[in-house]
Amino acid sequence: MLKKQILEEFQKTVGPENIDDGEVMTNAYAYNWCMELVNCMEEKEPIPFSPIPKAIILPSNVEEVQQIVKLCNKYDIQFKAQSTGLGPWNQPSSENCIILDLRRMNKIVKIDDKNLYAVVEPYVSGAQLQAETMKYDLTVHMPGAGPQVSPLASATSMNGPGFTSPHTGHSARNVLGVEWVLPDGEILRLGSTGLKNNPDWFSGDGPGPSLRGIMRGWAGAKSGIGVFTKVAFKLFPYPCSTKFKLKGISPNYEFDIPDFMKLYVMDCKNYNYLKKVFLAVEREEISFICSHLSGYGLGAIFSNSIESLMDKIPIASTHAPLVIVIAARTRREFEYKQKVMNKIMAEFKLENIIGTKYTPNSLFYAEALRSNLGLHGFIATGGFQSSKGQCDTATVCLNTTKMSIPLKKKYIKKGVIANDFGEGVWITSYESGHYFHVESPTLFDQTNEKSVNGMAENMNENYQFDLIKHLGAPFFVEGDRMHDKFGPHMMNYHKWLRKIKEAFDPNGIADSGFYISAK
Amino acid sequence: MDEEEYQKMIKRCLRCSICKWIPQVQIKSQKYATACPAIDLYNFHPYSGGGKIILALALEMGRIKPSEELRDIVYKCTECGNCAIACKFLNTLEPLEIIMRLREKLVEAGCGPMPKQKAYTEAVKNVNNPYSEPHENRMDWLPNDIKIDPNAKLLYYIGCTSSYRRKEMAIAAARIMNAAGVAFRILQDEEYCCGSPILRTGEIHTFQEFLNKNVDIIESKGIETVVFSCAGCYDTFKVDYPLYRDYNFKVCHTVEFFNELLEAGELKLTKEIPITATYHDPCHLGRNAERYEQWDGEEVKLIPLISINIPPKPKRTGKAGIYDPPRNILKKIPGLKFIEMERIREYAYCCGAGAGVKSAFPEMALNTAKIRIEEAEDTGADVIVSACPFCSTNLQDGISESGSKLKYYDISELLLMSLGLEPEKLKQALAEVA
Amino acid sequence: MKISENILSQQLVKICGSKNVTNNPEILKEYSTDMSFFMGKVPKFVTWPSKTQEILKILKLANQMNFSIIPVSSSSKLRQHGDTVPRKDNCVIIDLSKMNKIISINKENRVVMIEPGVTFKDLIPKLKQKGLRLLLPLHPTGTKSVLTSALEREPIVIPRYHWDSSDPLLCTEVIFGTGDLFRTGTAAGPGTISQQQKIGQAQLNPMGPTQFSPFRVIQGAQGSFGVVTWATLKLELIPTMQKVYHYHSNNIEELLDFQQQLVKYRLCDDTFILNNLNLASLVRKIDGEIENLAKSLLKWNMIFIISGRGDLAKDKLDYLEGDIKDLLRESNYVHLEKSDLINSDIFLKCVNESTSEPWRTRYKGYYQDIFFLSNFENISNYILMVQSKYSEDLGIYIQPINQGTSFHCEFDFFYDPNDNIKVDKIKRKISEIIINLMDSGAFFNRPYGYWAKEMYTRHIEQTSIALKKVKRIFDPNNVLNPGVLCFDD
Repeated sequence: MLKKQILEEFQKTVGPENIDDGEVMTNAYAYNWCMELVNCMEEKEPIPFSPIPKAIILPSNVEEVQQIVKLCNKYDIQFKAQSTGLGPWNQPSSENCIILDLRRMNKIVKIDDKNLYAVVEPYVSGAQLQAETMKYDLTVHMPGAGPQVSPLASATSMNGPGFTSPHTGHSARNVLGVEWVLPDGEILRLGSTGLKNNPDWFSGDGPGPSLRGIMRGWAGAKSGIGVFTKVAFKLFPYPCSTKFKLKGISPNYEFDIPDFMKLYVMDCKNYNYLKKVFLAVEREEISFICSHLSGYGLGAIFSNSIESLMDKIPIASTHAPLVIVIAARTRREFEYKQKVMNKIMAEFKLENIIGTKYTPNSLFYAEALRSNLGLHGFIATGGFQSSKGQCDTATVCLNTTKMSIPLKKKYIKKGVIANDFGEGVWITSYESGHYFHVESPTLFDQTNEKSVNGMAENMNENYQFDLIKHLGAPFFVEGDRMHDKFGPHMMNYHKWLRKIKEAFDPNGIADSGFYISAK
Repeated sequence: MDEEEYQKMIKRCLRCSICKWIPQVQIKSQKYATACPAIDLYNFHPYSGGGKIILALALEMGRIKPSEELRDIVYKCTECGNCAIACKFLNTLEPLEIIMRLREKLVEAGCGPMPKQKAYTEAVKNVNNPYSEPHENRMDWLPNDIKIDPNAKLLYYIGCTSSYRRKEMAIAAARIMNAAGVAFRILQDEEYCCGSPILRTGEIHTFQEFLNKNVDIIESKGIETVVFSCAGCYDTFKVDYPLYRDYNFKVCHTVEFFNELLEAGELKLTKEIPITATYHDPCHLGRNAERYEQWDGEEVKLIPLISINIPPKPKRTGKAGIYDPPRNILKKIPGLKFIEMERIREYAYCCGAGAGVKSAFPEMALNTAKIRIEEAEDTGADVIVSACPFCSTNLQDGISESGSKLKYYDISELLLMSLGLEPEKLKQALAEVA
Repeated sequence: MKISENILSQQLVKICGSKNVTNNPEILKEYSTDMSFFMGKVPKFVTWPSKTQEILKILKLANQMNFSIIPVSSSSKLRQHGDTVPRKDNCVIIDLSKMNKIISINKENRVVMIEPGVTFKDLIPKLKQKGLRLLLPLHPTGTKSVLTSALEREPIVIPRYHWDSSDPLLCTEVIFGTGDLFRTGTAAGPGTISQQQKIGQAQLNPMGPTQFSPFRVIQGAQGSFGVVTWATLKLELIPTMQKVYHYHSNNIEELLDFQQQLVKYRLCDDTFILNNLNLASLVRKIDGEIENLAKSLLKWNMIFIISGRGDLAKDKLDYLEGDIKDLLRESNYVHLEKSDLINSDIFLKCVNESTSEPWRTRYKGYYQDIFFLSNFENISNYILMVQSKYSEDLGIYIQPINQGTSFHCEFDFFYDPNDNIKVDKIKRKISEIIINLMDSGAFFNRPYGYWAKEMYTRHIEQTSIALKKVKRIFDPNNVLNPGVLCFDD
């Protein structure tokens, strides 16, 4: 709870109905997915609750956010900003923290179809934005977490891979102008957004060096460097006809598949061959989706329950599948892309199992277009989290996969994570194969303490493995503990990152639990 | 939901926020993407379906205690079930059932329901309706010229809201049945509250009393089919009653019944109704009006951490809701142009009245109604139609409050007009509806 | 504090060897000016280190002895924008032209690793041998440093490959102003470069390490944050078939509109718009020929190129052509006129190769340029604004960048450097025009010379404050190129 006088000051900023420091509210906001894992790794009780924040506050615009941050500085209370709030990265690391729930900041500021970008506030979801951009024949990059999360959060503060990354890239690389409330309460507007005369959103860099480099890296700062209140990011051509019609009742919708859309699933038999095929396909610049999933993952994207996954055993037993969706606006484009795929399949002696061994429900195509495939990862155990998360070449991604199999199998044998034969990964191409990332979605039972402990151990051991085998820095190198672990092996980057934190957050007000503290 | 299942499920929310939105693949615009009236108004996460699951867990873990703060959040919910539809697209949680169970627990702990809801529960106990109206006035809606057959096997169950507040709906339904030559009876002063307002606020014991009383009466009269014009009563009889006891009569809603009559040619729609109309799916007629299927399977552990249900456990996802019959009716009315809203069928946005919200949180009910009215207006329709007296009152309140030019009709009124008969101008828009 | 030049000389010689250090006044003078109007100071020394270790030592020395360093990457005198001209006394130039190794070319991963001294004329043919191509600016000068071009965020001519404003720059090895060695992106590790490469990495991912991306602050910093000793750059595969289209019109709006559709739907590779004078300068070499061609061209010229590769190259071209024809029809642009005045091969040379002399110097021998970023809507306004102030011998170049989300707008003022009257006129006019443009919202995202101060005063104060914070982290003693951008003090 907040002291009365402090509460009153916050109330003056947002109105009393938009702040709550009650026991019920603050406890509810202390809960999150995978919080039990984080607690476990920090040797705390593995419950899905973080430290309880002092209050939850709902600002409605950047001025209110600024005021709130200034008050936090005044009263030495940390803040943690969240949009839709999925994941432990939205949680406070201490009880001396208030959560800024940015739900009221939900405007699509503009969709600029001439300059091919959109500007949004934090609580616009990917699906909402896509529904609007489709009216202009455009689409938006959505992260693997799903279309219900915030693309602003993905672009500024979280990670950024998506199923459509061959076509729509990575959230961080799509960023243009940014409006950013710094931890000291000042407002920074990046690039052309910061012009005093006729500010605009089309560029996020400069003048001169780009402060986007401070804003985030491969991963974002998870509120550790301030609050992002608006962001502009690139839009992409909608890959096919924007007709989007469904019949039937949830979840068994039938989708009127747009003309000129096709799915390929090819069993590449082994990782070496998979790499060759992956690169060959991506060099042709034809795919909308191009991902390797494990056999289980392949079954999962076509299923909406564990029971329906059982039907997919024949395809789930593929060893090195490659999933490709091509889509086109015109018949010519479609015919060309199909020719390319046929050529590749002939060259590599591959077969498309779609239409022969397996035909998915039409709903798959709707989910592919709407970036809803990642959520299928939850159907088996109801819980998963990814280890790994590094990004560079297809080779290192596949080497990572291969080399990590025995490690994963060790925990499978202990019965603490579900058996995906150790092969459970998601590798996607970015920007037509210019780089690839790998993550290892690992199924565990978040309600089973043994499984939670096992999963935590598995993740820790994977981090250590990635470090000593030079496989790259995984996603979740965040927080002091991990930075102190990885930093000395990575050019002591953590010392520079600490200096940045110190410079931009001298009072340590932006919660650094998933970033870095100035120490 | 039994206690064991409840305890398991409340630990599994992923906090993914899917429950706040209609199914992702159905989102057609930014404006009409949301599913939950509670969080749409109050914004804090616990107001969502997933948020209430977290509250349930926190309560069980002793992290929070029953309190007014908790009660207010839990009861600011129309139990529309939209969160459950969205969640069950891929997940297996039951947010709606968890919310209902949570309310029962609050009542057990002496911390619920809301004072206004307690008041109408007492009214139901005392005078068999939540409006505190005299029981003997229950039949006041009935015009003298309606033909009733006291021996008919078909019972028309009017329900409290149509009897006391939305009399035009009851009259319209009765006149249509007369026009079709359908013999029906009514229970007269043996009709009592179905128990829905009490059930949905967690007063499970009082509900069971009324359930038993109603089933006993109906069965004792040898009734074969009960037809309802109130979606709430219909849902309660169809879906909730069988969880507690079996009964030997069929249930249907007037939209199903009238649709069958139309298909069979028993109703001739001759008069043109030149309007553009959109249809609001009542929650209790649509997604929630799906019976629970008995499942006698078992959970089989396949490999560590992965179990499956054999056979698969039926998932209530609104597939058995009544969506097409009212649409068929509207499309058959000559001169009527039918146009859909964006949020329809199993993911229709709630009108805002249900589960005690209209009485305990009138501003929430009204706010929600206004959102729905705006959605109807955005289709270009000049009329909004539905098939539930709760929706009727609340949406009409929303029209009036927002100054909208939309007109509201119950589907039976439009049918009546198209039969060439005048609907009764007896609309009463009293604010208080359970 | 005045440094002891003798001591400094000794130290530099110790680090780089006597052949690689000079204080020859004639050579020093070359580095005190460039083609811009910016008047700088004379450096104390010029050094030519050839190893990273040497640069490390120089930087550590600079911090100890309190002298400043300006890194330059090419020995050519064709530096343009005043960014490498010393603003302070006690300056040492580090000329990186001797660090000119093409460290590796990786076709599988479409990436090249190069040192700063590698020039376009060195690299393009080597890549071509392997079927690879760089993402090039428009007909770059052969002697220009490839790495510098990427560090300066020079616009590239293929918008669809321009996924991020930072492209084609990927990972870097850099020595910060503190004298600390660092590697950015996945090059940071874990592991050495060879360890990373052994496991299959190729230093492709520029983001990071972890939660910041220092390469973005090094880029565009005009050497004021760090000295880059190598970088990886993104490559593409060379097409086997290319077809060039040249549309011209007196109405730039319709060309911009058509181009925007091509870029939106990713229907073309290279595309840019030039006015007649700039196009003529690009494709012809002699004054007279340039003038004649410029007169025969319509005012505005939009070039775009479609490409295909391999066995299905023709199929690709066929589908692109068909879709483009449909687009022309649907957008009511069938009336747009094509020009055949210039041979396609010449265009292909301009987009695929470097040139021996800067093409912008062909017309009158010298030029000054103004460039900034604009959105789509304001391009014509800016053109009118500039032309209303100055229109003679003016080249205009409009380049969609970053997949069409903004436009590099460039105005080239051609002149004979011996024509003093012209020189004065241009000096005055350019200053005036720059101010007018800035006041209208033109975004000078690459602020050079005296523009920089003007730009920063027209940008919110927090930007300079933030940049100075970052500067103080990576170069607390302001050793690197002091005075550029907003780092005056």
